[in-house]
Amino acid sequence: MSKIIVLLTVLLLVTPAYAVDGNEILARVDKNLSPDSYEMYRKLVNVEPDGRKKEFILFTVKKGRDKIAGLFISPASDKGRTTLRLGENMWLYIPNVGKPVRITSLQSVIGGVFNNSDILQLDYGEEYTVTKVEDQEKETLLHLKAKTRTVAYDQLRMWVDREKMLPTKIECLTEAAMLIKTLYFKDMKDFGGGIVRPAVVETDSPLYKGYRSYMIFAKIKAREIPDEAFTLNFMPRLESLR
Amino acid sequence: MRAGVSLLCALVLVGLLYRGSMAEVTPTFDLSEIEKEVEKKPYAFGGFLQVQPTLSGLDRHSALYKLKFYEDEPGASMEESNLGARLEGAFQYGDLSAFARLDSFLTHDPNGWNGKMTLMEGYLSFKPGPRMAVEAGKRVTKWGKGYAWNPVSFVDRPKNPEDPEEALEGYYILGGDFIRSLDGPLQTLAFTPVILPVYEDINDEFGQTGHVNVAAKLYALLYDTDLDLLFFTGASRTTRLGFDFSRNLLSNLEIHGEAAWISDFQELTFLENGQVLTNESNVWSYLLGTRYLTETDLTAIFEYYHNGEGVDPGDLQNLYTYIDRAYDNYQQTGNRSLFGPINRLNKEGFSWRNPLRDYLYLRLTQKEPFDILYFTPAFTTIVAMNDWSFNLIPELNYSPITNLEMRLRGIIPVGGDLTEYGEKQSDWRVEFRLRYFF
Repeated sequence: MSKIIVLLTVLLLVTPAYAVDGNEILARVDKNLSPDSYEMYRKLVNVEPDGRKKEFILFTVKKGRDKIAGLFISPASDKGRTTLRLGENMWLYIPNVGKPVRITSLQSVIGGVFNNSDILQLDYGEEYTVTKVEDQEKETLLHLKAKTRTVAYDQLRMWVDREKMLPTKIECLTEAAMLIKTLYFKDMKDFGGGIVRPAVVETDSPLYKGYRSYMIFAKIKAREIPDEAFTLNFMPRLESLR
Repeated sequence: MRAGVSLLCALVLVGLLYRGSMAEVTPTFDLSEIEKEVEKKPYAFGGFLQVQPTLSGLDRHSALYKLKFYEDEPGASMEESNLGARLEGAFQYGDLSAFARLDSFLTHDPNGWNGKMTLMEGYLSFKPGPRMAVEAGKRVTKWGKGYAWNPVSFVDRPKNPEDPEEALEGYYILGGDFIRSLDGPLQTLAFTPVILPVYEDINDEFGQTGHVNVAAKLYALLYDTDLDLLFFTGASRTTRLGFDFSRNLLSNLEIHGEAAWISDFQELTFLENGQVLTNESNVWSYLLGTRYLTETDLTAIFEYYHNGEGVDPGDLQNLYTYIDRAYDNYQQTGNRSLFGPINRLNKEGFSWRNPLRDYLYLRLTQKEPFDILYFTPAFTTIVAMNDWSFNLIPELNYSPITNLEMRLRGIIPVGGDLTEYGEKQSDWRVEFRLRYFF
């Protein structure tokens, strides 16, 4: 009987220890991907099976774990559009159309494989909890579960380079474990200011066979940004932060 | 015929551009090139060029056909073409900036060519920091959460629910914006006051001239819900109060609503003899809506709108019956005097667009079906619940090349005699719109 009690106690202690370790790894991944408060530029490229491309350039500011805003600089048809995310709340402002409208994480303001939650990505630790950790040869595989139902992907499988503490691949899955898309992190780059991270995120999806999307990061730098920049009223004026 | 030729030219152009871009291969990325692309200049210039041929099948027995064309009837069908540009310019110098949006269009219809240039927006801004902005000039305030209608949009022109995403022309205002971000369940608080002068040569379309009006909006993001309290007061229009909200319930489900209380509104009653009676009363307009995204990327927007400023279906029937009589009288005698009371209705603020009290709006948008990237078919219907007439708007949107947008859509009003959509001037309308952004 005492052996069973000891065994149960060990099991109870071991399971949360895994979770704690996993969440610590996730926190380090988030920290290595971007500073706490920063600005950056991203080029989003959708490539069709025949090689045709459509490109977007986005200026982005982020503060803390749950505030991010983006401004489309090009193409001309999308110029001036801004997006804002505060935790689980997302809005899109289109200059011609008028007021900011609420959008949902699964919609896509640009079309193609990237959806709104990919473009307005918060810290992974803000939206997910680590449920399982697997050690592989050079990488650690984290199994992540969404904290709420408003998160775009119910589950993630994140392969983390143990040495660099950065993701190399993330699979995004539904609640029923159906694969929606895969993100590949490529081309390590030193952006200065101690920021060393992949400069390219390539994406494919079984839902879009033959299509690929790329997110290329440029000019990432730490910057203090006032909270008021992350409000609906400021969305039409985001350009003034550039 | 001209409309058909324009359409053909546009399609050939698109086809050529499409073929020209087929040669692209796997992309390579040069970060230094991207860094050059994002360099900011103090000025910006852009806009789009537009071609829009339209073909309408006219309903020669409808009240609105008779009202519009009683002097010069175009026949069973009508071709219209619209071509021109929307130009936008912006300049920033420190905390000061300026913005202008100008529409310049040529329209061809059976009466010939007409040119029109409209300053849609043009204003100066002073932004000493992210917490404050002051703006003066012609501006659209964009109040409200509804997609097709905005009853709380007290200082803007009404949207066209058949094309609610089209840019609106603003009014000349002096406005401010004061924002505070907070910790806790109340994340944001913002106050937006507006001063709107209405005189003979400024904003005279808004209402009674010779007055300065005041409006304001107080916004809060509270418990992940957008909330607005709004008011308007002044002598150009009667005092009105408003409230709106929106919230995401799930990752694919949003709800929103608006309510406006309008004091001392002049309710209109039409008699069959053309007499218009007015009765002053306080009325409510409100809207409740939702936006839902399915797993198959179908977005549904559904709204119910109660238009407190609308009329009863019986009054609308009397109005249409009177128009028939005025038309018959003109045909027989050449005397247009019976149309006089109808023309005066426009000055009373009567809305021909959605004159009744209760409406349903449904828009379904399917993102990129059959794996066709940047292709978005849509279907919209607006139902006038008071007489159960409706219109159907099938639509195809395609943007195969960066900065090129094409839209082909039809508008089919359906309804019996003396109903809102049954008495529209057209039995059907087909329009093709090509926009090239620069």
